[in-house]
Amino acid sequence: MSASAEPATAAARPAGMAAPARRKRRFRLAPRAISWLQVGPLAFILITFFALPTATFLVVSFWDYDRVGIYPDFMLDNYVELLTTPATYRVYLSSLKFAFIVWGVTLFLGFNIAHFLVFHVRSSAVRTALFLACAIPFWTSGIIRTIAWIPFLGRNGAFNQTLMGAGLIEAPLDFLLFSPFAVIVTYIHLFTLLMIGPIANSLSKIDPALLEAARDAGASRWRTMVDIVIPLSKTGIALGSILVFTQVMGDFFVVKAMSGGQSASIVSALATEIQAMQYPPASASAMILVVFVALMVAGMMRVVDVRKELVR
Amino acid sequence: MDHPVPHLERRFDVELVAATKRYGGVVAVDRVSLRIPRASYCCLLGPSGCGKTSTLRMIAGHETVSDGDILIHDENVTDLAPAERGTAMMFQSYALFPHLSCLDNVAFSLKARGVPKAQRHAKAMEYLALVHMDRLSHRMPAELSGGQQQRVALARALITEPRVLLLDEPLSALDPFLRTRVREELKRLQRELGITFIHVTHSQDEAMALADLMVVMDEGRIRQAAAPREVFERPADSFVAKFIGGHNVLNGPDGLIAVRADRCRLGAPGDQPHIAGRIAAVEYLGTTVRLALTVGDGEGASILLPDELFFANPVQMGEEAVMVWREQDSHPLDLPAAAE
Amino acid sequence: MMVGGARRARDPREKRPWTFYALATLMGAFLLFLYGPMAVIYILSFQGPDGGVTFPMVGFSTTWFEEIWKPGQMANIPVAFWRSVALASIVCGITVVVAVAAGLGFRRRFPGSGVLFYLAVASLVMPSLLVGFGIGLGFRLFDWKPDLFTSALAAQLTWTLPFGLFAMFAVFNRFNRAYEEAATDLGASAFQRLRWVTLPILAPGIIGVAMGAFTLSYDEYARSTLVAGNRNTLPLEIYALISSSTSPTLFAIGTLTTAVSFLVIGGTLLFIRRMQRRRAGAARPA
Repeated sequence: MSASAEPATAAARPAGMAAPARRKRRFRLAPRAISWLQVGPLAFILITFFALPTATFLVVSFWDYDRVGIYPDFMLDNYVELLTTPATYRVYLSSLKFAFIVWGVTLFLGFNIAHFLVFHVRSSAVRTALFLACAIPFWTSGIIRTIAWIPFLGRNGAFNQTLMGAGLIEAPLDFLLFSPFAVIVTYIHLFTLLMIGPIANSLSKIDPALLEAARDAGASRWRTMVDIVIPLSKTGIALGSILVFTQVMGDFFVVKAMSGGQSASIVSALATEIQAMQYPPASASAMILVVFVALMVAGMMRVVDVRKELVR
Repeated sequence: MDHPVPHLERRFDVELVAATKRYGGVVAVDRVSLRIPRASYCCLLGPSGCGKTSTLRMIAGHETVSDGDILIHDENVTDLAPAERGTAMMFQSYALFPHLSCLDNVAFSLKARGVPKAQRHAKAMEYLALVHMDRLSHRMPAELSGGQQQRVALARALITEPRVLLLDEPLSALDPFLRTRVREELKRLQRELGITFIHVTHSQDEAMALADLMVVMDEGRIRQAAAPREVFERPADSFVAKFIGGHNVLNGPDGLIAVRADRCRLGAPGDQPHIAGRIAAVEYLGTTVRLALTVGDGEGASILLPDELFFANPVQMGEEAVMVWREQDSHPLDLPAAAE
Repeated sequence: MMVGGARRARDPREKRPWTFYALATLMGAFLLFLYGPMAVIYILSFQGPDGGVTFPMVGFSTTWFEEIWKPGQMANIPVAFWRSVALASIVCGITVVVAVAAGLGFRRRFPGSGVLFYLAVASLVMPSLLVGFGIGLGFRLFDWKPDLFTSALAAQLTWTLPFGLFAMFAVFNRFNRAYEEAATDLGASAFQRLRWVTLPILAPGIIGVAMGAFTLSYDEYARSTLVAGNRNTLPLEIYALISSSTSPTLFAIGTLTTAVSFLVIGGTLLFIRRMQRRRAGAARPA
């Protein structure tokens, strides 16, 4: 075939005549070397300030300690003590309960709002404005957004006053503030955007013609949603779930400020140990939390190739 | 002979010597050899995925050459950077810098060479005038129509005074009416500038209308490289005959033959070559009428009849028919086995 | 995170399905939920001098804002504010440079890219306090003193850098590489290409990353709390006030710091919009 590929119009080069020598190109870095230089600073910072510190508390979790200091050792006592204390399981159970409730509510809100923004809003200017309205609070202080609920939910707060003013209730509702309810409300307030963003991103990649095709094929609104929209937004749902879940499991501020001491979080228990300078047991509980979160995230990552989703 | 011989006239602007492009294990361009004579309009034609764009990008230097050599003006440029090759490329999407005005887009290569502002703007205006875009020089690319963007992209490529201009499907983003006009203009420019244009397209009409040298590619290989008339009258194999269209590929007594559809007629079985079938479609095309036939072996054939000939003796869909042609109009093709 | 993509224009007279009204109601309720409580503290921060931390409003004054600058309990707030701004500026600068460079690097596959990617993911989902704890523990082992511009800076970067990196992925996903090839074709060197083509075209996205990094750092609490040393940032000061302060001053501080965030966000969005307008070609004399 290579013979017949010779163009008919072009005269043949005399036999044995080689192509002129290549002009050598100047020295160039290999592409992988350029990439390494470009990601070098990121790798340095993440290794030094994330990987090494994590390794540090992994090591320290096996150390011994007393009131005066911490001593290099290799013992499992910290873990044994932690895993034989009922309080550990209580606090994990309580955090998991919060995490699942918040996950369910933010998923419901996030999916529906993302669906509304992507498929129902017709003008792109309105869509951008609404999306910004949802996103902007995320860029403001979480602490302020948390304490903003205090005058709203309190015994004499705006919510109770409104309900009483409307004659709906006789006496103020007490369970609103400094309660698990307040914690959940605040979490939802803080983290729903983490669901909306990834899901909206997934939904906006769906060709609207697919939905029209499904309707033309006679699928009901509900079937279209279950058979087409939800499967195609799976990656966004998984990504949002990872973000919301890890945020709740890693929180200590909201529980502290909003539960009124009724609930503890994993991290706030840990913070108490840190303040008491009991670093080895604190390290051990940190390690257990890290492993726990890592397992949950790894489980959710099985649903979605995060890397393919982000880097394309 | 390692260096170009100065006293010999250069015969070719571009030569590919067994140029090969592999992506991992996939061979996109397979030992392609091609010589493009001086100042010619060369069209690389083929279905998508045939390797024509990879070939163009290897000539431009945007893809490394896995194997083989590329020569431009008798100089081996295989390992040179894109800007050192004397090529300029016009991208399919035009790739006009969205943050720069037309003038700054065209002046870009001069800025990279350090030409002072006043000088480079003056020169850029000349080139914008060449493509009749001097009056819109201060517009941003987003403010231009597709055709206008294309002219600016052309001016930006030409200001580098390339030895070879590479065009990647330059007409595909334009509407059909504009396409014909821009086509004429490209040909005119190529003649005026006296440089080689290499133009990638999947449209046989475009290639026929423009090319001095038409290169038909498939599966990373060149199937035929010749003048358009040569390709149309003597297609090298059944792929070329089918791809450029207007041909019936039929089983002859000594293997496959190609017969131009406009040389076929309806008739009666006699001494001349013929094939029986059934009319599958009648398409009125204005100056001609196309009859589609299903013939014995399930293959289709078509007949292009001048309109008055058809209406003098019209046939209906579903009728039995016999297609006839003259012996001298059949052109033998390679046997299918020989193609590989 | 931006909802993009060209949607097919639909006939505005087309009848809306009932789900539209249901979801629109949900959207409205959500926005009310999102902004309602915040609005309450903005209003309460203008409480009259005799008013308390709940409704009703007893008059209207700026007393509680003035309180912030008076010597006394709030003395640390203005200085903490400037510290936060300084730290956020540094974090923002480092994040932009490092994330843009890494975004460029990640456009090719390179050995180790998978490991680095998952390291960034892990850094983002790591319980925040633990990052500070690890860094603080490391500092203690080496007998270094934690400080705002060393350990706290590092702790914040483990949060803003992955954010910046993933935002840059999104920015590069929308970037047509033909622009760079065109620049190379026209003779630009690698540096000229970056300086004149890649960075200017990506500028709106990069500015967005800068804004994100600034506001994330400016409001960051959990990562820095264990490693800030003696000099507190504004969120740390606010946190310390929550338990002790019972006057609307806390709300006044909240209003001010949110106003700063809004100014930064609003300013950036306007800037990006102007940039994009310019590109679309706002009526210039031809």
